[in-house]
Amino acid sequence: MASAYNPIYTDVPEKDVFALHFLQTLSNLRTQNSFSSPDNKTSDRVKKIKKAAYVSMARAAGGTNRLWSRSLLHQAAKRNNKNVRFLRRKRRVTWLMRRRSNRGDPIEDVAAERLRNLVPGGGGMETSKLMEETAHYIKCLSMQVKVMQCLVDGLSPK
Amino acid sequence: MDVSEKDELRNGDDTTVNYDESANNPPPDWRVSGSNPVSDSYPTENLMMETLWYDPTNVQAVGYGGFNGGGNASSSSSFRGNIDRSLEMGWSLPNLLPPKGGNGMFLPNASSFLPPSMAQFPADSGFIERAARFSLFSGGSFSEMMNQQQPLGNPESVGLFLQGQCTSNEVNVVGVAHNDASAGMKETNVRSSEQGNKQNVSEDTQSSGGKGGETSSKGFDSKKRKRNKQNAEADQSQRSQQSEEEADNNGGGDKKRNDEQSPNSQGNKTNSGKQQGKQTSDPKDGYIHVRARRGQATNSHSLAERVRREKISERMKFLQDLVPGCNKVTGKAVMLDEIINYVQSLQRQVEFLSMKLATVNPQMDFNLEGLLAKDALQLRAGTSSATPFPPNMPMVYPPLPHGFMQQTLSSMGRNISSPLSPPINGGYKRQETNGWEGDLQNVIHINYGAGDVPPDSQAAAATEASLPSSNMKVEP
Repeated sequence: MASAYNPIYTDVPEKDVFALHFLQTLSNLRTQNSFSSPDNKTSDRVKKIKKAAYVSMARAAGGTNRLWSRSLLHQAAKRNNKNVRFLRRKRRVTWLMRRRSNRGDPIEDVAAERLRNLVPGGGGMETSKLMEETAHYIKCLSMQVKVMQCLVDGLSPK
Repeated sequence: MDVSEKDELRNGDDTTVNYDESANNPPPDWRVSGSNPVSDSYPTENLMMETLWYDPTNVQAVGYGGFNGGGNASSSSSFRGNIDRSLEMGWSLPNLLPPKGGNGMFLPNASSFLPPSMAQFPADSGFIERAARFSLFSGGSFSEMMNQQQPLGNPESVGLFLQGQCTSNEVNVVGVAHNDASAGMKETNVRSSEQGNKQNVSEDTQSSGGKGGETSSKGFDSKKRKRNKQNAEADQSQRSQQSEEEADNNGGGDKKRNDEQSPNSQGNKTNSGKQQGKQTSDPKDGYIHVRARRGQATNSHSLAERVRREKISERMKFLQDLVPGCNKVTGKAVMLDEIINYVQSLQRQVEFLSMKLATVNPQMDFNLEGLLAKDALQLRAGTSSATPFPPNMPMVYPPLPHGFMQQTLSSMGRNISSPLSPPINGGYKRQETNGWEGDLQNVIHINYGAGDVPPDSQAAAATEASLPSSNMKVEP
């Protein structure tokens, strides 16, 4: 791919890794009681599966090496009231906010804002870094989509 | 106790030696007081972070929130970890002030080191602007210059040196002190080189004028580069680096000129490389040195802007390759919109698929162990990944009966790939490897129909119990 010449490091692990993590997370979910009860609403289950998908993707794609994965895990951990371990972001944010206020390209800023809202953890990044993260995020997302599609195909009744 | 005091002094010594290359001879009381609040240094570090300052001299400093240059050093080193290796614009200059303010207590001064306090600078009308331009590259050259200058032990000399430099000929401040290849740059050498420079400048203007119509551009570019090459050593080291880089970039004719160590070589080098804005990363300091393009504004801010824009456009190109169907699209705005749409569609796909998963298999009781084992097999045979999966392998494997494994293995040969469902989002087609999903489906089928499930129930419980713990470990 283009990563040969690109100095940006955006390699993504194989599909198997994603599949593995996803299945692990799903099995995790299965052990929870709320899942096996039939009176569970589908929407809750959907949300849980979706969250599992994202978390497993973040883990598979590089854990805490990537900003977006870090922020994803952070959000997930916060929801579960687990101990939040990533504490180093505030300083960077203030510095970057100050720096970003100097930028003046309206078109690019508007789009960048939208992108920031989409990509997890995009709030504290400069535009160039944001685009790196977006590239990696896109790759991981597509991989995850493939994995899920395979699973669905496999599980759907013939 | 004397011993303890000496230890403290020694510690202070180490720290000052390691982190504070700038101030060579701080007064002993400073050192003592400096060594005491070692633990308190981190608040000052935070304070320093707020001030956007950094001390380029202490690039190598470990994150120690010390004082003086060290105080700025810690913030700078951590800055450098954070900052995107882009240009620092003129913020390096304020760091000249700390030594200028004297070697007294710096902790109280630290609070006053805020960018708005640039009024504390020596009252020179154009000083700040010149200083900004002076410290444009603010890269290794400047830091090394600082390294060289500060050992002078005379803070005022630094400021005076700057002022002297700034008042020198601005058109072609050529290779300022780089000829004076004195190992340690003394103050006197600086002064003499200043006067020498003026002569060199005139020489250079003539020589550059003779180069044929490229003086103005060269003037711009050379001014950019020469402003920073105030230090002989730094200059030579830099020049050797950049001459190599330029030699790589340019044709053959300029090579011999690049190798020259004379004032004329400066002009010749910029002569050759001026046509494009070049970005070369200095491996030593992690800075990117940029040259102003021909006929473009050489303001430090605009240069940084250009660097940033180039970075962004480079990444946009990379993203263009990623997003399918974006090759014809040009322009940043449209491109960004496309990217945003693609990301949104991917996220929607994930949501849709998770919905499907939830409905298709309400209990999710397919045999995960088989799947996992199979995936483990693939992983083992295939490439290694970055995940800490291998440590989990022993947990997954042992509980499984061997017959089950062989069954899955034999099934790998079969290819029962069901036709893919039509793409969810018509715009983006998926490329699936048939073999892979076929294997996965095989495993799932086998698990559904396998009669070996019962013996796995205990194993299932065991593995499931182990899985959550393994998941805990997976978290890096």
